[in-house]
Amino acid sequence: MNRQIRQLAGGLMLCYVILFATLNYWQVGRETELNGNVENTRAVRREFNKPRGPIVTADGVIAAVSVPNPDPESDFDQQREYPTGDLLSNVTGYFTLNFGSTQVEREFGDVLTGDTTEQQVRALRDLLSSEVDNSGSIQLTLRHDLQEVAKFALGGRSGSVAVIEVETGAVRALYSNPSYDPSSFVGLPFEEAQEQIVELQNAPGNPLVDPGYQQRYMPGSTFKVITTGIALEAGVIDPTSEFDRTTEWVPPQTSDPIQNYRGSQCGGDLAEVFRRSCNIPFAQIAVELGPERMVSGTEAWGMDEALPIDLPRAAASTFGDTDDLDQQLPLLAIRGFGQNEDQMVPLHMAMVAGTVANRGRMMSPYVVEATFDQKGRVLRNTEPELWKTPISNQTAGLLTQLMTGVTEGERGTAGSVQLANGVRFAAKTGTAELGLIGDPDRVHAWMIGFAPLEAPKYAIAVVLTDLTSTQADAATGGREAGPVVKGVLDYLLANPMP
Amino acid sequence: MTDLLEADLEPPRPGRRERRAAAPRAYQRRNAELSLVIMAASITAVAYTVASLGTNAEIPPGLFGFVAFLLGLLLLAHFAVRKLARGADSTMLPLAALLHGIGFVMITRLDNDLASLQSLWSTLGIAVFVATLIFVQRATDLARYRWLLFFGGAGALLLPLVPGLGSTINGARIWVSIGPINFQPGEFAKIALAIFFAAYFADNRLLIAAKTWKVGPFRLPEPRFILPVLMAWGFAIVVMVGERDLGSSLLFFTLFVVMIWVATERVGWLVLGLVLFSGAAYFSWSRFGHVQTRVDIWLDPWSDSLGKGYQIVQSLFGLADGGLTGTGLGRGNPNQVPEAQNDFIFASIGEELGLIGATAILMSYLLIVGAGLRTALRTDREFEKLLAVGLTTIIGVQAFIIMGGVIKLVPLTGITLPFVSYGGSSLVSNYILLALLMRVSDSSARRLGEMPDEPTPGERWTAWLLRRQVRRDQKHATSRSGAGGS
Repeated sequence: MNRQIRQLAGGLMLCYVILFATLNYWQVGRETELNGNVENTRAVRREFNKPRGPIVTADGVIAAVSVPNPDPESDFDQQREYPTGDLLSNVTGYFTLNFGSTQVEREFGDVLTGDTTEQQVRALRDLLSSEVDNSGSIQLTLRHDLQEVAKFALGGRSGSVAVIEVETGAVRALYSNPSYDPSSFVGLPFEEAQEQIVELQNAPGNPLVDPGYQQRYMPGSTFKVITTGIALEAGVIDPTSEFDRTTEWVPPQTSDPIQNYRGSQCGGDLAEVFRRSCNIPFAQIAVELGPERMVSGTEAWGMDEALPIDLPRAAASTFGDTDDLDQQLPLLAIRGFGQNEDQMVPLHMAMVAGTVANRGRMMSPYVVEATFDQKGRVLRNTEPELWKTPISNQTAGLLTQLMTGVTEGERGTAGSVQLANGVRFAAKTGTAELGLIGDPDRVHAWMIGFAPLEAPKYAIAVVLTDLTSTQADAATGGREAGPVVKGVLDYLLANPMP
Repeated sequence: MTDLLEADLEPPRPGRRERRAAAPRAYQRRNAELSLVIMAASITAVAYTVASLGTNAEIPPGLFGFVAFLLGLLLLAHFAVRKLARGADSTMLPLAALLHGIGFVMITRLDNDLASLQSLWSTLGIAVFVATLIFVQRATDLARYRWLLFFGGAGALLLPLVPGLGSTINGARIWVSIGPINFQPGEFAKIALAIFFAAYFADNRLLIAAKTWKVGPFRLPEPRFILPVLMAWGFAIVVMVGERDLGSSLLFFTLFVVMIWVATERVGWLVLGLVLFSGAAYFSWSRFGHVQTRVDIWLDPWSDSLGKGYQIVQSLFGLADGGLTGTGLGRGNPNQVPEAQNDFIFASIGEELGLIGATAILMSYLLIVGAGLRTALRTDREFEKLLAVGLTTIIGVQAFIIMGGVIKLVPLTGITLPFVSYGGSSLVSNYILLALLMRVSDSSARRLGEMPDEPTPGERWTAWLLRRQVRRDQKHATSRSGAGGS
């Protein structure tokens, strides 16, 4: 029998060698392939269960925080909560197991979980304290109170409010309708969450893509700030330029005339055509500049480039299709006053106003003021960065005068908008007629500006994107967006940063 | 004359030092076992701490109590061996302790609620281990109970099919519920049948091998010799298929084929076994939907990776995530695999301890198999040889079937990983098995003269009864002769 027992030993050993070989096949041979399989959620889960620090607003309100999971049966000890609901979701984004993460949750995920090199090194130094939780926290530049004011001022209408600090580019408010509450799907079981997200994606305006910095809208007359800036820089016009008082102008290469807003007669010196927002002078300026200078000018203002914000997937403003523009001067003319294919990101328009206020220097916008490690020590304070210098200090001064005319001058389009306590400010309005087939009266009402005039601190852009403007009831930038600007700026100037 | 008889019946018990001097190799083994057991306990304690650090980032609050409990149990088992099976192999108990310890840590880490129950089962397992060593002092004694064990084993296999007693968990009707107690009688039946096979083959192996019955061109063993084993085997297979427990069915089949092959020394039995197995496999594949499902999942789990193939696909994901070194105890997601604490515990180990840890588990089983078969080789009694072969085959094959199933080497069958999986029946029955294997090992050491073959307490008791009888008889005779003489 001993021979058979030895053979049995050999046979069993062979079985185990095969087991060992198979283990190698799975754990080493196909390791990379299996770990890359989309159904393998282990890496995501590991990430998901790490302690994750909070996101706090500039005024100390918690916008995102991890709390102990009340469900003891759950695989995860932590649960992400968004106490501010839909107020800051466009900036904080969301953090989910199955649907990834967005915005600050995504861009600063490594800080929140303590995975940056610096945090790792510091954790090493703190090893003796046996602290395993290495999560960092984020302080936003945004103010919770200002978000509330912006939301209130919009009053449920579709649109965006963007407020930046002109000298730094810090975003103090960025609120848009429609918004969404991350709690409506974060933490739900897979299928319910998926249903919610698909519903949001299919909702009008797709709130998951922030209207404030990830979408763009036709700017209308607010674009004249850019056209004027380019023309002043190029020397094509100066403050003494005069424009014919007329109702129609036929640009080259066409017989179709261009009209002023609602066919009115408009003209005069630069200050007058700017504050009354005539269309024809700016069409003429654009044609005189020509495609090349116009396109390079818009690029100098940061168009056709994704906004350099510290958030993922920022949109780029656009001057439209610029191929063969010299054969399509009528289009160039129309784009000169902000229609046709011009599309601007609302935040970018706040930056345009900010550039004028900041003596021609366009700052990179940012939403994260500072990052902190687990012990509350600063990891990084965001340093303001210059992005573009589209205009000189002198041009900025001229534009400031022109924009002051809009709020203070005779027949200025924002004359009806006056700030509390007599605070002076500069602005430009815009009413973009979309000319949609089937919805001909649909307009975007804009207003951009900055205050206080003497020492500009904040720049603002407001757009209402879902308005209907009729002959009897004209929805213009001054009338619709103006009160929103006033509401936000009044609050902001009365309640500066604590 | 009287004095001589007294001395003969009651040899003087040697002192401790003399006992040691008389059996140096046995004591060497026990000392080696002690240090290995302490090593296994240390590994378990460290793993327990690391798992807690990995899961909750804290030193487990009951660490001291756990270590005391662990050491207490293992030292109890060790000293029982030292007292009751001094010559036994030195590696079996430490290897089982290591597997048991790693399993316990994984179970605690997977589901903390199961920990207290599993520690109860562990205590019970060690208690039964000691009890088995106490009650089975001579391996050959077991052979006397072969028919009792045969009918007991068969009855145990049938129990889950009794209405009101049996209950179906996860599709297999292998559980018996009496009040709050659930157990799997099949786990114990495998040991009973191994003992029966060993006893029966030891007696009849030559008769079975003789093949004196001519049926046409074939020469077969006499039917009356082969009938009982065929009955036992067929019975087990039918019941197992009826209970939908494919893993156990495969295990019984392998056990039977291996034992009859070793006993008869005829390779034809292996061939016949293979043919029968292929036939049975094809038959059950074509007739039973659940078998077909299992095979389909085995061949291609990816096509239904969120449904029927989910468990095996998640198991493979876990293994890949673990890679060479593992994610670290408490740092992986082994709970992604359903039933991680039972059948799939090997996948959890592969995930968190990596290829290295999984290989350590593999090696532990291989070493137990080696020790078991070495025991079979060393002993000169056929019954003990066959018993050691049977018990070793159970452990080695059962571990192979489930580990192979988890890593998609063989079709997955629900069966526990000996010593590692959660569950009382499995743990207790495997400790019985271990005690029997060590008993066989100890018996052979005694016969090889590695230690004096002292009488067992049972034998001493019989001797004492005998002595009392002799004294009475003598007294009787003396008083009678005295009366007669004076």
